[in-house]
Amino acid sequence: MRMHLSHLRLRDFRNYARLDVDFAPGFHLLLGDNAQGKTNVLEAIYLLATLRSFRGVGSAQMVRHGQKGCFAGGTLVGQGDHEVKMYWSARERSLSLDGRPVRKLTDYLGVLRTVVFCTEDLQLIKGTARSRRRFLDLLLSQTHRAYLPLLQRYAQTLRSRNAMLKRPVPDPLALEGFSRELISAGEEIIRLRHELVPKLSPLARLAYRRVSNEAEELRIEYAPSVKRDFAVELAQSHVRERAYRSTLIGPHRDELQLLLNDRSAAQFGSEGQKRTLAIALKMTQAEYLTGIHGGPPVLLIDDIMGELDVKRRSAFLPLLERIHQSRGQVFMTATEENWPQELGRDVQRWVVDKGVLRKAI
Amino acid sequence: MAALPEPVASLIGALSKLPGIGPRSAERIALHLVQAETGAVKQLAQILVTARDRVQLCAVCGALTEKSPCAVCSDPRRDASLVCIVERPVDIISIEKSGTFRGKYHVLRGKISPLNGIEPEDLRIAELEKRLAQEPIKEIVIALGTDVEGDATSFYLAKRLARGELKITRIAHGLPAGTGLEFADELTLSRALEGRREMP
Ligand SMILES: Nc1ncnc2c1ncn2[C@@H]1O[C@H](COP(=O)(O)OP(=O)(O)O)[C@@H](O)[C@H]1O
Ligand SMILES: [Mg+2]
Ligand SMILES: [Zn+2]
Repeated sequence: MRMHLSHLRLRDFRNYARLDVDFAPGFHLLLGDNAQGKTNVLEAIYLLATLRSFRGVGSAQMVRHGQKGCFAGGTLVGQGDHEVKMYWSARERSLSLDGRPVRKLTDYLGVLRTVVFCTEDLQLIKGTARSRRRFLDLLLSQTHRAYLPLLQRYAQTLRSRNAMLKRPVPDPLALEGFSRELISAGEEIIRLRHELVPKLSPLARLAYRRVSNEAEELRIEYAPSVKRDFAVELAQSHVRERAYRSTLIGPHRDELQLLLNDRSAAQFGSEGQKRTLAIALKMTQAEYLTGIHGGPPVLLIDDIMGELDVKRRSAFLPLLERIHQSRGQVFMTATEENWPQELGRDVQRWVVDKGVLRKAI
Repeated sequence: MAALPEPVASLIGALSKLPGIGPRSAERIALHLVQAETGAVKQLAQILVTARDRVQLCAVCGALTEKSPCAVCSDPRRDASLVCIVERPVDIISIEKSGTFRGKYHVLRGKISPLNGIEPEDLRIAELEKRLAQEPIKEIVIALGTDVEGDATSFYLAKRLARGELKITRIAHGLPAGTGLEFADELTLSRALEGRREMP
């Protein structure tokens, strides 16, 4: 199912005092000098989709300097139209969908699906296992309704259990009660991750081959912390977890291995390979979501096009072509108009200048 | 800048300690009270004191009551062989409304909550064990919410209370995850009580 953002409204969001703009389906190119507010627009769209910033910052930073709160809203066209409104301040936060307050996150997420390509993606390779787990979690939350509540339940159980392990003498029966909850939520998470990764691997291999200039083979592999049986291994870790006073085994310790010719990309990959790999993973995410939902997500491509050579840029072609055919939507930023013609069919150009967005003539 | 008179400030301080009342509502209520008719405020104060004086916890089950033991505990028509464990006194009200439960109650006054420092010994479990020794209880129905703490506490209780012929069941269906009993409507509750399942 195709989806696009047909209207964006911002008030006191970053350097936008006010913005009201209509977007058609298709390719949107946001041009402008540095620090004018191009990325801020993508950040706002991503925020509407995920309720988070892709810059990994808290909402307080999104409030325009000197103001109390910020507003972001939009009209989403997919299966019917939806009106989203979001207000954030230190004292008050509200989120509404079609005029009604959103009570459960799962009722909201999925109204707008996005995949962002940005320089921070490099953390997927260079960062800790946590960033790779988040990659899996985001994909699973976008494709399984039950996943996010499951993950939240696991996280809460883990916090409770760790608090218990910090006590001088945890009550063994009470600890067992929380262990059972940890195991039942954890096993379900592990099962879903086990199912997901083999589906991603071939997509990732293809995407990498397309983006890369060299011939290495990419393989991604799920390396769960639990090898066979969560209950047994948790029990076996008991002496160690008492010493460390925290839960040492479970999906919160999982890893997603990224292997180039069977060697760890983080350890042995060149800078260029890491960058290529980050893009390939994001393409994988977009392809996978397209396959599951029968329509592409809205792509947000921040800056990275400028850094890529023609061969790597052209790797985006099949994905963009598909989005074009299905009347999906892409937002790209660039500092100058160096967008290759072969990608830029029917590009709608915008100029961003000191917090003002206007159509380029 | 002129500040509020000290008595108003301390009233705001006292009100904002109440559950569900933030600093802004506390201020609004305080400003209202200090400008209201004296008689009405005195009456409110009297009602507060009377309510607190007359309400106590049932020494047996822990319900809110004017007389201890409470009406349920002293009602000979209630099935004394069946006891339902709830988290808070207010949960009794929602189960009573469903009209399907004919046994007695036991209020735990919380659930095991490591993040809030609440351990089994902080709950009214010893009191329940005493009842098990004294009353002709044959079945215990655990009616805690299905969030993490409710589930862990239910497991704990099932293990700790297990003895002889005692049957221990749990309300298993209908209660939406993550909510306490007060959000459950009467229909789902009565269905839940019928569908209780035995705990391993
Ligand atoms: N909370 C904020 N309030 C006001 N201006 C902000 C805020 N956060 C960032 N900015 C401004 O936004 C601009 C950066 O916007 P950005 O979208 O990252 O630029 P670019 O066009 O290079 O992508 C800078 O001028 C910065 O000062
Ligand atoms: Mg930028
Ligand atoms: Zn009583």
